[in-house]
Amino acid sequence: MDNRTELRPSPTPPVDRRHAEAAPGAPAPRRRPARRGVRRDGYGAVFVSPFLIVLTVMMIVPVLYAVYESLLQTKLIGGTSFAGFANYEEVLTSGQFWSGVERVAIFAAIQVPVTIALALFFAAVFDAGVSKFGKFFRTVYFMPFAVPAVVAAVMWSFLLLPKLGPFSKLADAIGLHNTNFFSSKLLLPTIIVIVIWQWTGYNMTILFTSLRSVPRSVTEAALLDGASLRTIIWRIKTPMVRPAIVMLCFINTVGALQLFTEPQILAAFQPQAVSFGYTPSLYVYNTAIGSAQYNLGAAAAVVLGLLIGLVSVISASMRRRSGEFA
Amino acid sequence: MSAVEARQDIGRRSRADAREKPRRRRGQPEREDIVPVALYGLHRGTVTAITVVCTIFALFILAPLVWLVINATKTQAEVYQGSGFWFSGPFRLFHNLHTLFENMSGVGVYARWLLNTVIYALVGGIGATVLSTLAGYGFARYRFRGSKSMFYLIMATLLVPITAIALPLYLVYAKIHLINSIWGLILPSMVAPVGVYLMRTFIDASVPRELIEAARIDGASEVGILVRIALPLIVPGLVTVLLLSVVAIWNNYFLPLMIFSHNDSYPLTVGLAALSNAAETGSKQQLVPVLIAGGLVTIVPLIVLFFFLEKYFRRGALQGSLTG
Repeated sequence: MDNRTELRPSPTPPVDRRHAEAAPGAPAPRRRPARRGVRRDGYGAVFVSPFLIVLTVMMIVPVLYAVYESLLQTKLIGGTSFAGFANYEEVLTSGQFWSGVERVAIFAAIQVPVTIALALFFAAVFDAGVSKFGKFFRTVYFMPFAVPAVVAAVMWSFLLLPKLGPFSKLADAIGLHNTNFFSSKLLLPTIIVIVIWQWTGYNMTILFTSLRSVPRSVTEAALLDGASLRTIIWRIKTPMVRPAIVMLCFINTVGALQLFTEPQILAAFQPQAVSFGYTPSLYVYNTAIGSAQYNLGAAAAVVLGLLIGLVSVISASMRRRSGEFA
Repeated sequence: MSAVEARQDIGRRSRADAREKPRRRRGQPEREDIVPVALYGLHRGTVTAITVVCTIFALFILAPLVWLVINATKTQAEVYQGSGFWFSGPFRLFHNLHTLFENMSGVGVYARWLLNTVIYALVGGIGATVLSTLAGYGFARYRFRGSKSMFYLIMATLLVPITAIALPLYLVYAKIHLINSIWGLILPSMVAPVGVYLMRTFIDASVPRELIEAARIDGASEVGILVRIALPLIVPGLVTVLLLSVVAIWNNYFLPLMIFSHNDSYPLTVGLAALSNAAETGSKQQLVPVLIAGGLVTIVPLIVLFFFLEKYFRRGALQGSLTG
């Protein structure tokens, strides 16, 4: 799931916003006219324009072009013609596409909560300092973030190789004979484990940073009131870092819906278990690059983009409703 | 450290904490900041039990990495022997590393992919940092017509998934003959909306407006102010954005997979995937050790980078979350 290394802003714990407002260097309220040190003559546009030009050329134009392409149809005889929504109709009625959507939905429903629960547990443990060697563990857990998803998938595929991989031998030794982690039944759980391996540390680091920014006096006050460690973590600190958790849920879900690398690499080891439309991203890739149906692929990419956009909008409105998204 | 010593140590720390203002010692700022464990009144053995849980998870994280290091020293036949978690057979690490310079598989030369990746990551990362810094500075210290809506537009592009942008790019490249061009990967990698966000936040927090105003009164040019006054103050932010961009490009798979069909322009990720495919389908050659050694060489630079730049990464990530 290489797409999750895409850069995202760190979530904002509510505590810090309060601090930021109190800080002397923080920006003044919007209403105040003519701030010192802020020019209003349009000079800033010069600084912003290089980024905007590259953004337009490399993102906005291609997306518009893909929408245009998705409305066309190319036939061997007759060439390219306007097809209206025919490609969209084909994507939306394709069993392959929807089975992929269903699969990544199941995948997200399991992987995201497990990853975040593990990350929160370890972040809370290291924040309270109730494990020895906390700093060492934090460094170890974060290491998979530096491992490309391709390498992670290759390593795990050797570890899980039927009959020859160490984990298959281990399963054999404890009585589970002929375990095939790549069989159609076990492939999705296998991918879930690989993705949890990859992303727990990253989530843990973000949550740890947020927990760390909860003022020490909060914990001390709770202790004076006789709260136990469990109460402090679960009832006091976790609610305070809720915005970070919500943000991570969103980032992880969007990443999960784009699942591509792991099944694509594992397909080399077990081609029959990974179908043409195993995930929506694989469907887009196989349609456009594999079978050179560019127009259909473009329509599928637009549908996938809209589905993920829908998730983003729902999550943003949820955050706004709970007053956490400024 | 024995349990008794540990408790005494905790006791010492809690006494130190009881002082009015505990001084932060260099090197261990975190210890002073946290509430001493002893105050939680945990059961005996709780710390041990939690440490055991953490150790188990650490083993889970380390297992594939340890396997990679150990098996990079083996021959193909030995990789499939035994538990996989101990050395066996002749020590072939250097031989395996040597094969990274040859085209054994017919899918390309690993060393070439490594060079490509370094070029893509450096040029793309520096480009992303420069563009983000300029834009972040523009948004943080200037107001101009549409500046607010432009900033929201940029933040909205954060929501566009990479898998939905890769195919459109491919279609455009096919039209203008940019397939297999290195710029086809580098230019889109320079678009890092979160870099703009981080730099704007960072500049807001660390470049005082009064300083800029003073420089203007002294007659400095706008570009001169950015280069000579703002830049030295935002080095940690620059390093953070550079680091995040380099990692994103180094690990990117979907876009280069789509736009490169010549194996001499592959980055490491696409090359290794091709190698993995070749190793699985054609079993005659000694490709598995090449694949494993290649995987090892791919992750070592990033892990080393993290160890050296960890403080920048944390500071930058923290900054982003503090002043959002």
